[in-house]
Amino acid sequence: MAERAKPAAVPLVLGDKTPGQVTADITRALERRPGFLWWAAFVPSVAALAVGVAAVVYLLRTGVGVWGINTTVPWGFDITNFVFWIGIGHAGTFISAILYLFRQKWRTSVNRSAEAMTIIAVTCAGIFPMIHMGRVWFFYWMFPYPNTRGPLWLNFESPLVWDVFAILTYFTVSLIFWYVGLIPDLATVRDRTRSRVKRFLFGVFSLGWSGRFRVWHRYETVYLLLAGLATALVISVHTIVSWDFATTVIPGWHTTIFPPYFVTGAIFSGMAMVLTLMLIARKVMGLEAYITRRHVDPMCKVVIVASGLVALAYVTEFFTALYSGNPTEAFAFVNRALGPLGWGFWIMVACNVLIPQLFWIKKVRSTFLLVFVISILINVGMWFERFVIIVATLQRGYLPSSWATYVPTSVEIATLVGSFGLFFTAFLLFARFLPVIAIAEVKGVLGTSRAKGGGPR
Amino acid sequence: MSERKPKDYGKTRGVRGAGEVPAEPEGASPEEGRGVSRREFLAAAGFTLAGAVVAGCARAPVEKAIPYLVQPEHIVPGRAYHYASTCGGCASSCGVVVKNRDGRPIKVEGNAEHPLSRGGLCAVGQATVLGLYDSHRLASPLAGGRETTWAAVDRAVGERLAAIRAEGGAVRFLSGTEASPTARAEIERFLAGFASGRHVEYDTLSSAAILDAHERTHGARLLPRYHLDRSEVIVGVDADFLGTWISPVEYTAGYRAGRTLEGRPPRLSYHVQFESRMSLTGSNADVRYAVRPGDLGVVMDGLARRLAARAGVVVPGEGGGAEPFPAETLDRLAERLWRARGRSLVLCGSQEIQTQLRCNFVNHLLGNYGATLEVARPSFQRRGSDRALEELQRELNRGEVAALFVRDVDPVYDLPDGETWARAMKEVALTVSFAASVDETASVSAYVCPDHHYLEAWRDAEPAAGVFGLTQPALSPLGGTRAMIESLAVWRGEAKAAYDLIREHWEARVYPLAVPERTFRTFWERAVHDGYVEVATEAVAGGEFDMSAVRPGYEAPAAAEGAFALVLYPKVAIVDGHHASNPWLQELPDPVTKAVWDNYACLSPRAAAAQGLAEGDVVRVEAPGGTTAEFPVLVQPGQHDGVVAVALGYGRRETRRFAGIGPRWLEGRPTVEEGGVVGTRAAPFLAWENGTRRYLREGVKVVKTGKRHDLAITQGHHSLSVPPELATPGAETRPIVQETTLPAFVGNPAAGGHPHHNPAPGSREDLWPDDHKYPGHHWGIVVDLNACTGCSACVVSCQAENNLPVVGKDEVRRSREMHWLRIDRYYAGPEAAPTVVHQPMFCQHCDYAPCETVCPVLATVHSREGLSEQVYNRCVGTRFCEANCPYKVRRFNWFHYRRDDERENLVLNPDVVVRSRGVMEKCTFCVQRIQEAKIEAKRQGRAPEEGDIRTACQQSCPAGAIVFGDLNDPRSRVSRLAADPRRYDVLAELNLRPSVGYLRLVRNTA
Amino acid sequence: MVSRVVTVVLAVGLFFSLLILAVGLADLRIPDDQQGYEPAQPIAFSHRLHAGELDIGCLFCHAGDEKSRYAGFPAASTCMYCHADVSATFGAVRAEAEAAEAEGRAVRRIVSTELETLYEALALDENMERDPAKTLTPIAWVKVHDLPDYTYFDHRAHASAGVTCAACHGPIETMERVRQEESLSMGWCVNCHRDGYQAEENGKSAYASVDCATCHF
Repeated sequence: MAERAKPAAVPLVLGDKTPGQVTADITRALERRPGFLWWAAFVPSVAALAVGVAAVVYLLRTGVGVWGINTTVPWGFDITNFVFWIGIGHAGTFISAILYLFRQKWRTSVNRSAEAMTIIAVTCAGIFPMIHMGRVWFFYWMFPYPNTRGPLWLNFESPLVWDVFAILTYFTVSLIFWYVGLIPDLATVRDRTRSRVKRFLFGVFSLGWSGRFRVWHRYETVYLLLAGLATALVISVHTIVSWDFATTVIPGWHTTIFPPYFVTGAIFSGMAMVLTLMLIARKVMGLEAYITRRHVDPMCKVVIVASGLVALAYVTEFFTALYSGNPTEAFAFVNRALGPLGWGFWIMVACNVLIPQLFWIKKVRSTFLLVFVISILINVGMWFERFVIIVATLQRGYLPSSWATYVPTSVEIATLVGSFGLFFTAFLLFARFLPVIAIAEVKGVLGTSRAKGGGPR
Repeated sequence: MSERKPKDYGKTRGVRGAGEVPAEPEGASPEEGRGVSRREFLAAAGFTLAGAVVAGCARAPVEKAIPYLVQPEHIVPGRAYHYASTCGGCASSCGVVVKNRDGRPIKVEGNAEHPLSRGGLCAVGQATVLGLYDSHRLASPLAGGRETTWAAVDRAVGERLAAIRAEGGAVRFLSGTEASPTARAEIERFLAGFASGRHVEYDTLSSAAILDAHERTHGARLLPRYHLDRSEVIVGVDADFLGTWISPVEYTAGYRAGRTLEGRPPRLSYHVQFESRMSLTGSNADVRYAVRPGDLGVVMDGLARRLAARAGVVVPGEGGGAEPFPAETLDRLAERLWRARGRSLVLCGSQEIQTQLRCNFVNHLLGNYGATLEVARPSFQRRGSDRALEELQRELNRGEVAALFVRDVDPVYDLPDGETWARAMKEVALTVSFAASVDETASVSAYVCPDHHYLEAWRDAEPAAGVFGLTQPALSPLGGTRAMIESLAVWRGEAKAAYDLIREHWEARVYPLAVPERTFRTFWERAVHDGYVEVATEAVAGGEFDMSAVRPGYEAPAAAEGAFALVLYPKVAIVDGHHASNPWLQELPDPVTKAVWDNYACLSPRAAAAQGLAEGDVVRVEAPGGTTAEFPVLVQPGQHDGVVAVALGYGRRETRRFAGIGPRWLEGRPTVEEGGVVGTRAAPFLAWENGTRRYLREGVKVVKTGKRHDLAITQGHHSLSVPPELATPGAETRPIVQETTLPAFVGNPAAGGHPHHNPAPGSREDLWPDDHKYPGHHWGIVVDLNACTGCSACVVSCQAENNLPVVGKDEVRRSREMHWLRIDRYYAGPEAAPTVVHQPMFCQHCDYAPCETVCPVLATVHSREGLSEQVYNRCVGTRFCEANCPYKVRRFNWFHYRRDDERENLVLNPDVVVRSRGVMEKCTFCVQRIQEAKIEAKRQGRAPEEGDIRTACQQSCPAGAIVFGDLNDPRSRVSRLAADPRRYDVLAELNLRPSVGYLRLVRNTA
Repeated sequence: MVSRVVTVVLAVGLFFSLLILAVGLADLRIPDDQQGYEPAQPIAFSHRLHAGELDIGCLFCHAGDEKSRYAGFPAASTCMYCHADVSATFGAVRAEAEAAEAEGRAVRRIVSTELETLYEALALDENMERDPAKTLTPIAWVKVHDLPDYTYFDHRAHASAGVTCAACHGPIETMERVRQEESLSMGWCVNCHRDGYQAEENGKSAYASVDCATCHF
């Protein structure tokens, strides 16, 4: 049918650009002063970041008591935010690596910023387990290093230790992956820029890229290998994070479904966040021609799939709990839905399961404003998923005598705001100083050949 | 010696690394003027920095050690010494052992040999050691509110007394029940010097009616000595004898002795409680009836009639009030009492003389006098006479008193018309208070002559006929205080040391009673060593019962329609408010309500619902006569619907000090507002009725104000049954507390068990490798839920032993209390008449501890002796262990809890480190005591034996409900109890193999 | 040209800063590792003289060793067992005696400066009597072997297990001023405890335990 043919007809990059124009368009952002929109986004971000910094400083000076957590609910916003951000940090590598392996051409316009997002999100995530410690100044005890304490080392049974390794590995590899992808474009910038400083810096970081055929060939190979490596990590990180809960004896946490459940959830929220950022970048950096329906549409489809998987996980969880005949387990889940934090649960269901279904409608997928709003709602929902899993579960433990409530303090909220501040500040800086779109790769999907006088030079 | 004091890094500067750091970077020096290039500056700064780094790393904390100049004999620094003494917390005068460390008492524990307390010690007694280091205690006498010297006071008081003696003015000495025979004698001698001198005693929590009743029935004004251990049927009528009534520790010990399940057939007394509010005693009763306070007399009358009928004695009076419940209830009870003649006991806490007379009558009919309660060798724990007090008050108001001495009591605070007292006292020529700190009465007294804290003083006591207690000083007075008897002696004109006075008194009065003792010296030394002596005394009153005393006709006061009866009661921790300034007691959760740092108006669920009141709503209580006060509402299941109950002992001016307690931070709220006090004074509601003070007001209105006042309650959920809307079929209640009935238990000792909770030894399936072997000891605890009354003495004992901080009301409200040991209290059954269980809950030291596997830095690990160890200095505070603890018994240091009161810090136990901010802590099974015992045993070349090690909670328990020991030792008591068919593990289905077992609760009900 | 100058300056700078650090490194240590700590004491008491030459047993002064967790510092009264009579070095006393003989005057009492402090502390006058005018001033010794507050160390346990004083305190009898010989780090303690633990008799640990709660509670 005609409709099905249509999308193929729509090119990935609009306006039939020549490679030269592509280079010009994308690097322009780096060369001219940022526009009003950029500042409009940047200033609030920095403000939010400042708030967060203040909150953290106060926390470190006064003690963890400035958070609303207590004996019964020893984890609150801190770990919720941690899991949330780690989740966000998934889509980047998912898009770059997995979609690369599957040769999804539409990824080219988004993968660069998706990877940047990954790195920033993982940084945001890393902050929380750090500051949630009672004695942050001893964080290095989490690492295996030679000391004078005789037999005392690390507890390799503890999921928290696994976390440390998993996250650091993921961060490192994502960083390298992102950087390697950047090299040709850095070279492009190096060659175009007029400022001495820039030429020096970009020169150093582009590792003397010459763009000869052999270089390109090796580059492709390295990129492929890294993609393969990163793919494994996408799965591993959140699996291990989920073990923080799955390996405990707490009803509602102690479930084997957690690893796949968390990974799909992560990709789900990650995709949503990519959409959010893409649509922002598109406007702020004036890249309408490069981020088009051809990119947004498939991402929406991925979101629908992920949403379905997440929904499946929710259902399975409840089924096993009620079917298992384990009274405490059953109670934990009934309490999740009907207990004091039931409202959180229903927000989660609404945002993660119901609302994404709108993406079945083509009209919605192609209305960017709607996509933008929904993508944000999804992330709200995913944040509540973690909140419900952690707080609602802890609030109602084994002994009714120790049941308690948890109310976040202003400091906790400020910290959450701050983490978003950090996230957007960092992203906007990236958009300002580095090519947000993989120039070289986009040229690959122009439908024109390098022979037409393109190439990074 | 300087041990465990925070190190002073500041001091080190001068000692090492000095000179390595130039005072300031050279670059910043004036040389700048003659043009130092930037590079020079940077270089200089760089070197300076390097130096600073090096110096910083090399710096060491310096600690000084200051030995004795002249070594005292038999004192080895670092060793703990124990001295037998007598508790001065209240008039019960329990026997204690004071643990002394490097010249300062750090713990007060029960004396196991003492004939009354038998080794237990209540929460108040435990907390007195903190009172010793109270920095608000007076360090010198006051004259007109200003500090002065003893010489000056003695001169001034001496002159006044001389004048009074001359003009024959009336001298009155007002005190609480004076437990010390020497003091009594001294007071008499002192007063003898005046034309009109009288010693007036009253009790803040009066039992005058009991004494008055016995004056009529037995011809002597006395308080019988109750033997609960000899009683098989115990009927309590409005008497909270396990919690706050007269001598709770003694009674708890007796009660426990009468309720053991070891023997075959088990000896479990039958306890019925009639009361209007939910008291600790009621919560432990086998059968409990919530009765309108006015009907308590009716109940007693009903019993009297029925028993009289059985005994064939002429029934006193006709009619009698309509009974609040079907007649057969009392018929059955009377029958049961009658069958247990001479082996039963009826206790009555009423202040109504008629009711008390009937109580005596009942005990007489049952032939209990001489068997379960003694009048021949009575108790002296209550001597107060409300009539004498009333008389004194009249004299004061008429301005007939020339001199008033006040000791141990605080009339201005205690009595309903305190303001009148204050005014009257100002008119008195000479007013002297012996209060240790400026309480309400002291603040209106001309002179305050602070007495020692009992741990600083020589004292004696005679809690019961023939039982003498001796108090020896555990350290020399911290301030310039003086013993009351010394002051009196000085003013009498013959100054003498308290020690000599007591010794002389004992030589003259006590020694002669002693069974042939070689010399007084040996007798005295034995007394000092043991802390008490028992001697034979001649009968105080004969057994004969004066029937004529029991007046005919009893009519219950009619209940006013739509009005409440206000019941004023003492709380277990605060009691009469005498120790209200003690933070440990303020932060001790009430055994029944679990509330801290407040008093409140208790309403039954139905009454609260009827008024549309929720917990924390502030109500105004309006009594006839215009007395009003506002209290927050607390909903109390099991309370009679027509009753509003308010605790006494709050709203003391001395609690202003708590304004600054607890951590201060952005959203932190103060425990009390600046200048405010803890709770609200309820004394104005007390009533006088024909010669006795009443703790009951009829016709009281409870008016909603619309204001809110957050209560800090440590336990939010009170039921083991899952909220109905969340319940899944088959899981409506949780088998955390297991109980059964006596008949069922006799039939099958394992009755009431739960399949998961008592797995056959071999049947345990396991994924874990069996890597926890306990070659030597395997420490464990067994808690007998049948013995535990919930009195909470163990909680304070633990706090004292393990340096637990006081965190203040706001932190408790945020469920961040730091008690390692909590007592969970659950209600079951209908809200109107629930059954109650108390379950001590603390670290279970699981063999497969979930907390241990998740700690990333190995800060909590398992020992070879079965302890789950928490290593504070390794902890980084991820709180993962707490999240993964099914019992939620771990405590986190959310803040740096301030300990800036240097004086108060002297109470810290030097063998337990004070935890810093950001680390997790929890019950350690008092590992410091385990280590001490093991090391001592090793020193003596033997293995630690049963009884060498007793945990703080175990030591304090008046009921002996907590048993600690070595599970690997088949002879140990704990291993025998662990094998008891009643034993079960909490959350056994998790197979964590806790080292703490619980013995099933057995109720003596059909 | 310019660049060469820069390089030279940088090189020189580097060299010097390294030199400084090298000097510093000799004294560089992990915080709380006090090996080699040798503070000055209020009285320059010589262990070499007393424990070494005069061969006075450790427990004569540190009497708590077998009875308490603290070996304890001797009370000033303990010193007076001997120093009531011995108030200066033999040499000084004899010199004075000779001088007095030569000048034909009575022998004056010689008091060494160090013992002066001791007598001052005890508020004694020149003929060793308590001088009411003076005040008693305790002597504040500086702890040399000082474990962190979160570490519980008990001399009794080690004494009764037959651990010699020297095992932890080193050859005190050779030290003029006491020095911390061993590192006293946790690893150092544990090594000994672990070896001790190996020796087990019928399941009961013969010596030290390696449980955390042995030292930390």
